[in-house]
Amino acid sequence: MAVTEGSGSEAGSLPAEVAASRRFLLSDPTWEKLGLLKRNAAKTWKIYRKNRMGMLGIVMLAVFLTLAVFSPQVMVLLSWIGGWDVAYDPFYKDLTVASESPPSQEHWLGTDSFNQDILARLIYGTRVSLLVGMVATVVSMGLGAGVGLLSGYWGGVRDEVLMRITDVFLVIPWLALMIVFAAVLPGGATVTKVVIVIGITGWSSTARIVRAQVFSLKERAFIERARAIGSSDYHIVRKHIFPNVFPLMFANAILTIALSILSESTLSFIGLGPDSSNVVTWGNLLEDADSVFAIQQGLYWWVVAPGMMIVMVVLAFTFVGYALDEIFNPKLRRR
Amino acid sequence: MANARRTILRKSFNSLVTVVLVAILNFFLFRVMPGDPLMRLRDNPRLSEEFKLKMIEDFGLDQPLVVQFVEYMKNVFTFDFGNSFSQQLTPAMDIILGNLQWTLILVGTSSIFMISIGMLIGVVAAWKRGGMFDTGSMAFSLFFYAMPTFWFAMMLIVIFATELKWFPPDSEMSYGHDLELSWTAISDMLHHLTLPAISLTIGSIAAFSLIMRGSLIDVMTEEYITTAKAKGLSDARVLKDHAVPNAMLPMVALIAIDLAFVVGGAFQTEVVFDYPGIGWLTVDATFDKDYPILEGCFFLIAVVVVIANLVADTLLVYMDPRIKEA
Repeated sequence: MAVTEGSGSEAGSLPAEVAASRRFLLSDPTWEKLGLLKRNAAKTWKIYRKNRMGMLGIVMLAVFLTLAVFSPQVMVLLSWIGGWDVAYDPFYKDLTVASESPPSQEHWLGTDSFNQDILARLIYGTRVSLLVGMVATVVSMGLGAGVGLLSGYWGGVRDEVLMRITDVFLVIPWLALMIVFAAVLPGGATVTKVVIVIGITGWSSTARIVRAQVFSLKERAFIERARAIGSSDYHIVRKHIFPNVFPLMFANAILTIALSILSESTLSFIGLGPDSSNVVTWGNLLEDADSVFAIQQGLYWWVVAPGMMIVMVVLAFTFVGYALDEIFNPKLRRR
Repeated sequence: MANARRTILRKSFNSLVTVVLVAILNFFLFRVMPGDPLMRLRDNPRLSEEFKLKMIEDFGLDQPLVVQFVEYMKNVFTFDFGNSFSQQLTPAMDIILGNLQWTLILVGTSSIFMISIGMLIGVVAAWKRGGMFDTGSMAFSLFFYAMPTFWFAMMLIVIFATELKWFPPDSEMSYGHDLELSWTAISDMLHHLTLPAISLTIGSIAAFSLIMRGSLIDVMTEEYITTAKAKGLSDARVLKDHAVPNAMLPMVALIAIDLAFVVGGAFQTEVVFDYPGIGWLTVDATFDKDYPILEGCFFLIAVVVVIANLVADTLLVYMDPRIKEA
């Protein structure tokens, strides 16, 4: 990398064309790799662009990411459109209206039991819901990839042992597993704990997918060649196997984010998620509604809106995940 | 045939290992993780002194962990989880078995519908691939796949219980009724079952329709289908005699694997409808910190799902000649 930076600063004083050709002539491996990466990305994007479902997913994701990153700004914008006195945040208690009030000019989705604006909670809820989904996925991908790589590469007895453990997590109903973990793990119901619970219960299918892929890669000639010239196991896994497993894992990860978001909302709804007085998620927004019998009272907006957000965001990730899977999964490609 | 037997034997052994591992996981989760169980027992203000002493005696909680573990494994495989914390005179397993029937009724009824309807949708969608029905059913399946089951259950209550008042919004039967073989009892039971069953069926149908579609599309690219068509067989014959039977193989394996997924949906449905099955009991026990119940539910569910998977694997060995030969 240092070489690249050096040649980059030197190139700054040269005409762009000369600099580019010099880079090429120097044949710096980093540049070559970057170029390859860029070409691959461009190729993938070209195939991806044709997938209408995938493109719809990306657009939806962009909207949700905007909502999550710019929640306060979105509320300011809405307050300007709605002519409210303040841009509500999820914990602002508007004492000028009744609690559990129906939708009005000031509160488009009404207020909850603590006079808090439901729309604000809904928009800020995007943050934690997306964050939990993504971080939990990183945890389960790490575990799943680790177990899958080792299991597939080792084979034999160690593979058997790892697979029996994977089976336990694969076979037990996900919600039962999550509830039990949430019940016995120490510490209160915090965001971190929810992430850990979803992460350690959701890795098993990834491990299976990665393992199967490693098994088929292991027999390929290029791995044998690497072994013949004396590459270490670590080197082979890191440089030859992992890069080939990664695209498939990436598609799987996107689909796992969707499942993790569903898991978070379910855990929160049951009452095992973060407390709604500190953290807002769509799940605990629904839990709050359920705890005061919102649907029996006819306060439908309170229940319908968060549910639709969950459906939309899960759909968005699923669309993108399916589209990527079609590109990266060798089993699907031939169709 | 010898190979088939060996395959089944190996799968049975693996299932047994899985169950033992679940039991060990159970031990660690409930005995080791939340700190000293003796302390937890002592600190629980809702338990009587007498009950505490009995618990310590019964489970050897004052013994070293290794002794406890041996004792525990013995108890687990006789399904003895001790007395419930919240209903102290009743063994946890009795309570669990009492709730199990409701889960079986709910999951059983819904499974029949979700498997048959899901497969039907999958077959038609795959046959008319790219057509109106395919696109429509894919959209329908994905939409419900993305929807939290508990939320769908709430929407059903809004429409059919609160607004239309066609069905009761909660519980398994009307107050004061018991499940017995009489017309009033059964119709009352079915009346209460309708909404939870619809919620679970539609909430889990995508898993079956999408896979059936995928599996059938896979089969349709095989050469024997082309051969069958070339022989001049009607579309219906090709579908019924050649495509569907072969596409069924992955479905059988999937029905068992999906049971774990369906049980997750059943948990949510039971919680929303206050339907007193295993899922409802598990959630209830979580808040009561009723560990014997929680342990028992967890273990029982795991055993049932493992057995279901084993049955599916065994069936597959006999159905698929490729596995039999291998």
